[in-house]
Amino acid sequence: MSKLVEIINVSKIYNPGENEVRALDGVSLSIDKGEFVAIIGQSGSGKSTLMNILGCLDTPTAGIYRLHGMDVSHMSDNEQSDVRNMEIGFIFQGFNLIQSLTALENVELPLTYRGVAKKERLKLSKNALSRVGLANRMDHKPQEMSGGQQQRVAIARAIAQAPPILLADEPTGNLDSGSSREIIEIIKRLHSEGRTVILITHDPGIAAQAKRIITISDGKIKSDVINTAQEG
Amino acid sequence: MEYFKSAFSSILDNKARSLLTMLGIIIGISSVITILAIGNGMKHTIGGELDELQSGGVTINIDAKKTDRYLTAEEVKQIGEQIPEAYGASPQISGYGQAKAKNDLSANITGGNETIIHSQTEKLADGRFFTESDVASASPVGVMTQSAAILLFRSMDAVGMTFDATINGITKTITVVGLIESDEESISDAWKSVSAGELWQYINVYTPHTLLTQGFSLPGENIQSFTVFPEPGKQDEVALKAKRLAENMLGLRGQKAVSIQSFASMLETFNKILNIATMVVTLIAAISLIVGGIGVMNIMTVSVTERTREIGIRKALGARTGSILIQFLFESALLTLIGGILGMIAGYGLTFIVSKFMNFPPKILLSDVALVVLISTSIGLFFGIYPAHRAAKMSPIEALRYE
Ligand SMILES: Nc1ncnc2c1ncn2[C@@H]1O[C@H](COP(=O)(O)OP(=O)(O)OP(=O)(O)O)[C@@H](O)[C@H]1O
Ligand SMILES: [Mg+2]
Repeated sequence: MSKLVEIINVSKIYNPGENEVRALDGVSLSIDKGEFVAIIGQSGSGKSTLMNILGCLDTPTAGIYRLHGMDVSHMSDNEQSDVRNMEIGFIFQGFNLIQSLTALENVELPLTYRGVAKKERLKLSKNALSRVGLANRMDHKPQEMSGGQQQRVAIARAIAQAPPILLADEPTGNLDSGSSREIIEIIKRLHSEGRTVILITHDPGIAAQAKRIITISDGKIKSDVINTAQEG
Repeated sequence: MEYFKSAFSSILDNKARSLLTMLGIIIGISSVITILAIGNGMKHTIGGELDELQSGGVTINIDAKKTDRYLTAEEVKQIGEQIPEAYGASPQISGYGQAKAKNDLSANITGGNETIIHSQTEKLADGRFFTESDVASASPVGVMTQSAAILLFRSMDAVGMTFDATINGITKTITVVGLIESDEESISDAWKSVSAGELWQYINVYTPHTLLTQGFSLPGENIQSFTVFPEPGKQDEVALKAKRLAENMLGLRGQKAVSIQSFASMLETFNKILNIATMVVTLIAAISLIVGGIGVMNIMTVSVTERTREIGIRKALGARTGSILIQFLFESALLTLIGGILGMIAGYGLTFIVSKFMNFPPKILLSDVALVVLISTSIGLFFGIYPAHRAAKMSPIEALRYE
């Protein structure tokens, strides 16, 4: 059986030529369905670059990326849009909600792009919002909510369409410790329900909650270990 | 309709900016509407009047600058009798004033001899035309169309009815002796105007010219302009003969003091002027529409830049190039469509005011409304292409990183 995520010798080079930046330098890794992986590294080590490639937001300069065994690194823009829509739920550090839309409308968005009919869309979106404890905040705009609540809306948006992969880039980076704990709990619960979670962080405390920890530094993988503390 | 909702709320979020952006479109569309409505109304009214009154008539003018001679009513009549291809010749005196019976209307009272019935082609529907003896005795009698009777008396059964005509402060009671047939459309239009109380039309009334000159003291005893009524197709021939006869009677041969003026050529001149006015206004409208379109393009480009992050988010969530493109095209088309509709309202408001002053009904055609919708959305679509394309082609990662 093919791996869910498989990247082989992937490099990302910014500003090729004189002062080029090798944000990723020959990275290979694979992730199976149902794993909970933390990617940890210092600022500037290439974590976000890796996440963007895994999320089909960016294409590698060199190397191959296979998702479900399908080469997605050479797809057209629209094909990549479809892959993001169907396969990946994003959780960003800055929440990335659309300010002019309500919580519910934000959650509906990926379903709209998938072409889900209005009724079904509303059902799925309300359900997702309830699961992150925001059933009573559906008609609020992002400005009317706390950071933790906004991040929960973003999580609801990521899970409403039940994508196989959840990609979280520093999901707690803008939150206080109380909200951070809540968010991590929600993410852990989603994993226990069978979703594949890839969590990017520079906080070892948060990484320790994952079952596998990949450390990167200067665009290269330094270590890739099973977190025995969580395996038990 | 998701696109509609999103476009609408984004326009509403920036009301002041949207309105300013629409200004060019509003001005452009309102001037197009105004000129179309005024033009249509004017063509309809004036053109209709000229057509109706003067379809076959040819006017012969004696130039007052070249001679102080003039014809008498008797001589004019003789000219008509001496031309076998003419139904007759008549002085033609116009009096503008008010006619008052059940309703009070502006009236265009045309005075002539008994042959002036040939200035129009419709048959008499009822009663009689005024006669030679009516002319001789300056009888206060008149003939009008059935639709004019509806407007004035609210009845088509108007033979024998009287109305008060006021010209230059002199009021006379005139008896209707005959009615000229009107077509069904003008009859139903007249009834509609009566029931709506919209009485801005002129009515036309024919009376003996002697009534106008003697009864109302209008100038015209000394005739320097008269009309001959040729049989169909004999226009040029009759005009020439009438001119010769007039020159002979006046002893003015070869002095170019007598000239032919056909109403066909007057109508042509009128249409030419109207067409030039239409062209000028259309040009102004086109320029303001283009300027307005560029404004829309400008503001949409700003909007796309402001919303770069939103575009990044939408793309990250799976929006295809096409759906971002449609979203922004929809927004700019809606912007110009709203501008177009506002312009249309402003245009009709303006037309309404102008027509009140100029005494003709504004004519709103459904095709004009369709034209406005079509033009304004096309402008939005056309000038929206560039900004929408820019939005659609953004790389999701760069858009997301945009601050
Ligand atoms: N668009 C870009 N153009 C040029 N260099 C870039 C660009 N994006 C990232 N880089 C560089 O690539 C390297 C990796 O950046 P990346 O954002 O992946 O780091 P990170 O591990 O996510 O850091 P942080 O923890 O601060 O978010 C950095 O040196 C950064 O300066
Ligand atoms: Mg980062």
